[in-house]
Order: sequence, then C-alpha cells, then structure tokens
Amino acid sequence: MRIDYHLKDKFDFGLLFPVLILFGTGLAAIYSSTYNNPLAQGNFEKQVIWGIAGMILFFVVYSLPSNLFKQSAIPFYLLSLFLLVFVLLIGKTVSGSKSWINFGSLGFQPSEFAKIGTILMLAKFLSRNNTDIESFKDLLLALGIGIMPVALILLEPDLGTVFVFLTMIITLIFWKGISVFAMFVVLSPIFVAISSLFGTFYFIASLVIVVALLFVFRQDFFFSGSIFALNLACGFFTDYVFRALSPHQQNRIQAFIDPMSDPLGSGYNTIQAQVAIGSGGFLGKGFMAGHQTQLQFIPEQWTDFIYCVVGEEFGFIGTIIILILFTYLFLRILKISSSSKDEFLSLVSVGVLTVFFTHFIINIGMVVGVMPVVGLPLPFVSYGGSSLLVSMVMLGIVANIFRTRKNYA
Amino acid sequence: MINERFASLQRKTILSVAILISAIALGARLFQMQILNQDLYESKSVNNSIKQIDQNPLRGVFYDRNHKLLVNNVPAYTLRITPTEYDTSLNHMLETVLKLKTGFINDILFQNRNYSKYQPIKIKRGVDFSIIAWIEENSQNLPGIDYIIEMHRGYPGGVNGSHIFGYTREITKRQLEKGSESYKAGDFIGYSGIEKNYDMQLRGQKGKKFILVDSKQKEIGSYNDGSDDQLPVKGNDIILTIDAKTQKIAEEEFKNKRGAVVAVDPKTGEILTFVSSPQYDLDQFSYITSRDFLDSLYNDPEKPLFNRATMSIQSPGSTYKMLVAIAGLDLGVITTSTTFNCNGGYTFGRFFKCHGVHGRINVVEAIEKSCNSFFYQLILKIGLDRWAEYSKRFGFNSKTNIDLDEESSGLIPDSKYYEKVYGSNWPRSILLSLSIGQGEVSVSPVQLAQYTALIANNGKTYSPHLVRGYVDNTGKEFDLKSKQLTVGIDQKVFDIVKKGMYLVVNGSGTATSIRSDDIVIAGKTGTAQNPHGKDHAWFVAFAPFDNPQIALAVIVENVGFGSTYAAPIAKKIIETYLNSKVEKSLDQQKTITQLENTVSEPQREN
Repeated sequence: MRIDYHLKDKFDFGLLFPVLILFGTGLAAIYSSTYNNPLAQGNFEKQVIWGIAGMILFFVVYSLPSNLFKQSAIPFYLLSLFLLVFVLLIGKTVSGSKSWINFGSLGFQPSEFAKIGTILMLAKFLSRNNTDIESFKDLLLALGIGIMPVALILLEPDLGTVFVFLTMIITLIFWKGISVFAMFVVLSPIFVAISSLFGTFYFIASLVIVVALLFVFRQDFFFSGSIFALNLACGFFTDYVFRALSPHQQNRIQAFIDPMSDPLGSGYNTIQAQVAIGSGGFLGKGFMAGHQTQLQFIPEQWTDFIYCVVGEEFGFIGTIIILILFTYLFLRILKISSSSKDEFLSLVSVGVLTVFFTHFIINIGMVVGVMPVVGLPLPFVSYGGSSLLVSMVMLGIVANIFRTRKNYA
Repeated sequence: MINERFASLQRKTILSVAILISAIALGARLFQMQILNQDLYESKSVNNSIKQIDQNPLRGVFYDRNHKLLVNNVPAYTLRITPTEYDTSLNHMLETVLKLKTGFINDILFQNRNYSKYQPIKIKRGVDFSIIAWIEENSQNLPGIDYIIEMHRGYPGGVNGSHIFGYTREITKRQLEKGSESYKAGDFIGYSGIEKNYDMQLRGQKGKKFILVDSKQKEIGSYNDGSDDQLPVKGNDIILTIDAKTQKIAEEEFKNKRGAVVAVDPKTGEILTFVSSPQYDLDQFSYITSRDFLDSLYNDPEKPLFNRATMSIQSPGSTYKMLVAIAGLDLGVITTSTTFNCNGGYTFGRFFKCHGVHGRINVVEAIEKSCNSFFYQLILKIGLDRWAEYSKRFGFNSKTNIDLDEESSGLIPDSKYYEKVYGSNWPRSILLSLSIGQGEVSVSPVQLAQYTALIANNGKTYSPHLVRGYVDNTGKEFDLKSKQLTVGIDQKVFDIVKKGMYLVVNGSGTATSIRSDDIVIAGKTGTAQNPHGKDHAWFVAFAPFDNPQIALAVIVENVGFGSTYAAPIAKKIIETYLNSKVEKSLDQQKTITQLENTVSEPQREN
C-alpha cells in the first residue's frame, strides 16, 4: 500500500468543480426569476447562505474518518424512519404533500435526510460478508430495508422521492451483483405498475411482455406463475395507490400522459415550461430578459422549474452545458465507485450517484415534457436549503471515499 | 461468484451507458425544442405575454353648410375600478360621491366577475372635475380607483339638432351578434340620426397598441418600445347641409310646440333646417351609464325620441290643392280660364262644404282663396287613379330617401286600395275629401317639403338630404351626390300654380298676415283634421318668389288654423335664411373689395 501525499490524490477537483458551476448557474437563474417577484424576495441571498453552509458541510464530511459512515448506518436509518413517521403526524402540508417539519422559520424534509440513512443502511446490509443477493431471503431483506422508507414517503405522498428511492434500491442491488433473472423479478412489477397508469391497454400489454420473458427464462412453472401473479397484483395495487393519491398528484400524472387535456390546469406548468425552454433558442434571450421568466408564467420557477430559466435566458448553450456538467459529475462518481476497494463505500457512492441521477433525469425530463411533473429539485441548481445541504453532504461522502479509496485494499 | 459480479466492469459499463444515453436523449430533446422548433415556441411565448389593445380613434365631427362646427369631441373623465386592488368597503362612499344608486358598484363588479380581476372596470363617465381632484388627493386611501380621459360628443354650435345628429351608445350584444366583424364589445356606435346613418364614415380606424402582460394579464409595459403600434385614424368629418343660424331660430320657434319643419334649397335638395319638436338633450347621452335617462325619454307622452319630420304622417289639408291643380292643368282637364261655381259648397250625394261663397272661380283664385268647391269638381274630372299617379310623381306614397334611418312613406290611396277596403262599390264621394287633402291621404313633413321644392323649382329638384359631403383626415373634401328628381310637367303649369301661391300671401289669400316687402314669399296654408284634439296647422312656402332659394313645410300640431300658427314660423325661417345669405354675400363682397384695395395700394404708391 502506497500513500500518495499529493493533494490531487487526496481531493478530486473533478467532483467539486462541476458542482460549483452548477451552483453558480443556479444562483444566476434564482436571481433572475425572483428579482421581480415580491413573493420570493431574499431567496437569492438565502441560497448564497445555504451554499456557504453546504461548502462547510462538504468539507466536514470530506475530512471524517470513513469508517464512521458504516458505524452510523443503523442509527441514521432508524432516525430516518422515525422522522418519516414523525412528519406524517405533525408535518406541514406543502402543495399537497405532508413532507415538511418546521423549526420556527426553518423547514426541513425528512425524506431528504432519509436518502442518506437508507443508502448507508442498504450498503451496510449488502456489503455484509454473508449476504447472498441471489438468495430469496437476502433479496427480500434488502428490498425490505429499502421499501420501509418508500412506504412512509408514499403516505406523504411524495411521488418524486419514491421514484428516487426505488431507482436507488434497484441500482444498489444491481451493483451488488444480482443475476439478470432476479433483476427481472424485481423490475417487472415496477414496469407493470407504471404501464398500468397509462390505462388498461398498456397494463395488459406489459403483462404480455412479462409472460413472454418468463418463457425466455424457462424457470419452473410454479415459480413463473408466482411471478406472473405478483405482477398482476402489482398492477391492481398501483390502481389502488393512484386512487389514494392526492388530487393534485393524480392531475400531475394525468397531465403527463396528456398535457393538452387541461392547458390551464395541471398541464399548465408543463406547457409553459416547454414554451420557456423552446423559445430560448440557441443563445437564449439573455440574462433577466426571458418573457416567460420575467413575467412569471411559471409559478415558483426558482425551485423545481429552475431549468426553464436557464433554457429561456441562456438558450441551448446553457442547457447543454448543464447536461455536460451533470454527466461529467456522474461518470466521475461512477469511477470513484468502481475504484474504491471497500464494498460498502463503493455501494454508498453508487447510491449517491443514483440519487443525483434520478433527480437530474426526472427534473429535466419533466421540464422538457418527457417525464411527469412530480416535483423534484435539480440538485445544486434549484433553490432550497434541505436539498442543497443533503446534496453537499452526499457529495462530501463521495469526496471522502475518493480520499480513502486506497485504504481498504 | 458474487464478488466477481460486484462492481464488475460490465456493470460499470452498463451504468455509464445508461447515464450517457439519458444525457444524449435529453440533449436531443433540447435540440429539438430550442433549435428545430424554436419559432413555434417563440410564437407561443409572444402570444402569452404580448397583448393587443385597441385604441379608439376620434369620431368625425359635424359642420354646418358654412363650416361652422356643430358637433365635436370633448374630453371627459371616466372613473374606473380595478377589482384586485379595490376594497368593497368603499362602495357606499363612492356611490354617494358619484350619486349612484346603492348597490350599483356591486352589480357592476358582479357583471364583470368572469373577466380578469386586473382589468379596470368603468364605473361612471363624465365625472365632475372636483370629484377627480378629490380622488387625486386621496388616492392613498382609495386603492384600485383611477380615472381615464375619454372623448365624448360636445355640441358647441348652439344647435340642439337632436333628430339630425342623433346619438351614440355602447354597442348592444344583439347588434354585435348580427353586425359586421369590425365592431367589438364596448365600441360606441351611432344609434340614431346622422351618427347612425354615417357611422362608417364617422368612426375612423382603430389603432393598435401592443403591451406586455404577465401571467395574470397585468400590464407590465409597452412591447418593442411601441414600434409595432398603429395610431388610430380619425373618422371623416361630415359637412351638413344645415344652416346653423336658421336651424337655431327654427328650434327656438318650436319651443313649447309640437310639430316639425323641413326647409330645403329647392335647387339642390339640401336641407337647410330640420326640426322635430319636442327635442331632447343630446348632451345627456354623452354621459349615461344607466338606462334611466333613456327610459324617461321612451316613457315621455310627448315622444321626444320620435322624429316627426320623417315619421309622423298627417293629412296634408289644403296644401295638397296645388297637386290637384297641377294634375288638372297638365291633363288638360282645365285651363286658366276654366271656372267652377262655388255656392258655399258642392253637392255630391250630400253637401260638401266650402269655407266661403266664391261664385265662379278659376284655378289661380281657387288656390289663393283655398276654395274647396273648385277642387271637389276638379278631382271628379281627374279621377282617383290619375290623381294618385300625379301624387306619386311628386314623391308621395314612397320614402324620400332622406339620409336618416327611419322614415314613413305615407299613403296615397288609389282604386285598388279602396276596393280592398270598401269593395268594388266604394263611395265616389271619397274623392271629394282627397281633393282638399283630407281623408286617407297622408304625408310626412319631409315629403311635403320635397313637393314644395318641386313646385318652387318648376318640377326639378334633388332628393332631400342632410349631408353635403365629408372631409377626410388629410383635409380633402368629398361631395356626396343625391338623386335628381323630375316630374316631367310643363313650365306653364307651374307658373299658374305658383301665381296662386303668390296670391295666398301677397293677394287676398289665407296667409296675407306674413306678407313682407323685403322678401316675396309664396305659400299655402293647410289644416289637417285629426281625431286627437285640435287640428294640425300646415304651411308650405318658398321664397323669394322670382328665384326660390328656400322651400319649406311646417306643421304645428293641435293648434288650429294654418296661417295663424304655422305661417309665421315659416316666415321667420325664410327671413333668417335669406338675410344671413345676403349678409354672407355682402361679407364676401367686402372681402373682395378689401382684396382689391390691398392689390391697388402699391399701384397708388407708384
């Protein structure tokens, strides 16, 4: 084991550099979209303060001894579950979701904190020496660890965050080394569930695909039948969950399926967001010069719809630079994950990567009209303290893993 | 085995590819939106935030025949409320200050509940300046209340002219539905009179202003610094045929009287004076926001909105005797030397009375003395249908096509008409009533004025009209043509009839009281019997006798004999018009002399 004392080897600038540019772009967009809005006065200044706090947290987490993460996994996970139950009891409802706990003027979302807790817990479980992900029991346990916070978040209900957790759980199991067939068993119910949202035709079509794949895998009849039954149940369960969702979330899903069905209601944000981005063109309309942004056609644009501001005022150049920066950041984290010698830390960094990536794909996807509007912020860019601080902590964990990647050979 | 799969290169590659494919897909989508379809989104963005606002043009003004301004546009204050900012607890105070009914503001707010709450609503027009000043001072305590300046009709010429000018009002829903596309809700359109008939000329072209609005339709500022805005184009100004001075005198003469007068220039058909009395106050119309004022006019028993000059039809009485004489002379049934006997009446089935005993009397004397017996006997020789045919030649039984919206065509009965009413054995004695302008024959004042003009100008005139032409916004004048009318009757016939009319005033006729040495007037009195109270007094006249420049018909309702009431009014109108004409030509001569003097001065220096 050789210890390199060069700073380059201890600190990955490639990790922090794109994040600083993303944060800076976000600040500019927040400034532009809140400047003329009396409801959002001071948001720019607040975000600057959150940014400074985030940097401090980042460096604190960066310098922690890395075995602390594994040790804190169980307490963090339990605290996460506690807070998720707590928020359901006393939480504040914001746009239809009971997801905020308030301390005076400061609010915080337990589901953000639960991301870290769940990643650590799942990574700890999967990296145990005797865990066999191919065994039915261990797979169920792993899924159980993941599903518990998901179920609580579904009760809030915060659909976007549920998506993030599901993707993260599946990716961790995948990274652990699940076989293709087991992966199919895990993924097919999700596939069927999403298809069923589009209507009976899509539900049946997805079931047909599942049956076809079951023939390809040639497993025994009883097992295949059980998997089919699971899929069928999942489709009906989704329908039940959909009915249980709050009306505004039902509308958002419906608006995704057909945004034009209600151009002034649920589909309004999607349409206005696309108009903002599309009208930006190649170079954009210029800082503080976007009609859609300056005339406040999109409500609370500085949070989930911040990418519209970038698209309208900085154009294709701006949106593509953001895409490239994120892609670079993701590949950088993936590189760290595969270079880490410690299975736990490798899993943790993949978990962080998945959380960032899911936010990225759903946020930008919804803004450009290819994903449902589920209300997820764009990490490092959107306005919001909870999201930014948790993102910076997760980034700090990855930087820490980079620093200590050679320690556990 | 498990450790082989953990974080394998294969799995890393799968994740890398997933990340790259997602990023490329989003990039492609952005390329499609921002590069390929930018125009589409840009136009949507523009439609979103750029609003077109119509700007009302100034309505054309009215001049009289001498280019004296009669109707113009004057600025007035309109009070508005913006619902989002307005506090309804101010309702009571505002209603008190503006003298509105309690609950008025709530009603208006309710009517506008479906419109943007950021759009100001007009509450009252023509608000007094002192109230505006008070609002200015207290604007801090009066949120959501403001005012704008709007143009309203003003009448600076001292002429009321309610039935000439007419009024404008906000367009009704029904009119919008059936009307042309060029009208929009909230537009003011001509509702009666010249304002209605010449609306297309007067209204001008709307301007367009482009403004930026936010998502709540609230105005943010002008778009493109106003470079795409179009200025409104003022409507064309109308030049009336009316002589303001004469019109004013005529209106004064008719104060507290019911009736009408129409005076035309017989050579051109231009209407010099046009009064229907009682009139109504056009000024009131500029400021109405409720129907109260209009309802009070509708319910007035004197019917001020009714245009008597074109709409009221009455028996013409003895003024119609000239027509019978013309028919008789033109048909050759009589000559100037033909006489009929008058022994105080004429027996035809029963005794038909005359108002005197005229003995043997010829046509000229018969007109002068208004002898009924002569015309009883004459019409029997003419016959009903030939009488009706001559009546129609003089424009009766059909509209004069005067340039106002409403007009009655009156009635000239013929044999078909009587067969329909009484059957084929209709009593021939009806003819006798018709010969003296009584019975079913009914005419409007404007028809009677046209008939007088035709007599005065020897069978030729133009259809009566109130508009001579218009001036477009470049100052260029355009004349409007009217239809020429000819009756095709020999000059000699007119000479005979006009001699009779001359003697009515200047001989020993029925209107010698208005005889004047300065101006030679020829005329004819008439009395229209009517079932409602006293007779209506008619007088038709033209002057000067040698070279008629004015021909008119006057009716004064329910006063009795024509020469007592109608003839003096006619005289006053004739005198005013002809004297002002003389003054004008004197003025012109003076100017010409002055011009000659100025030209000659340098010569003198030489």
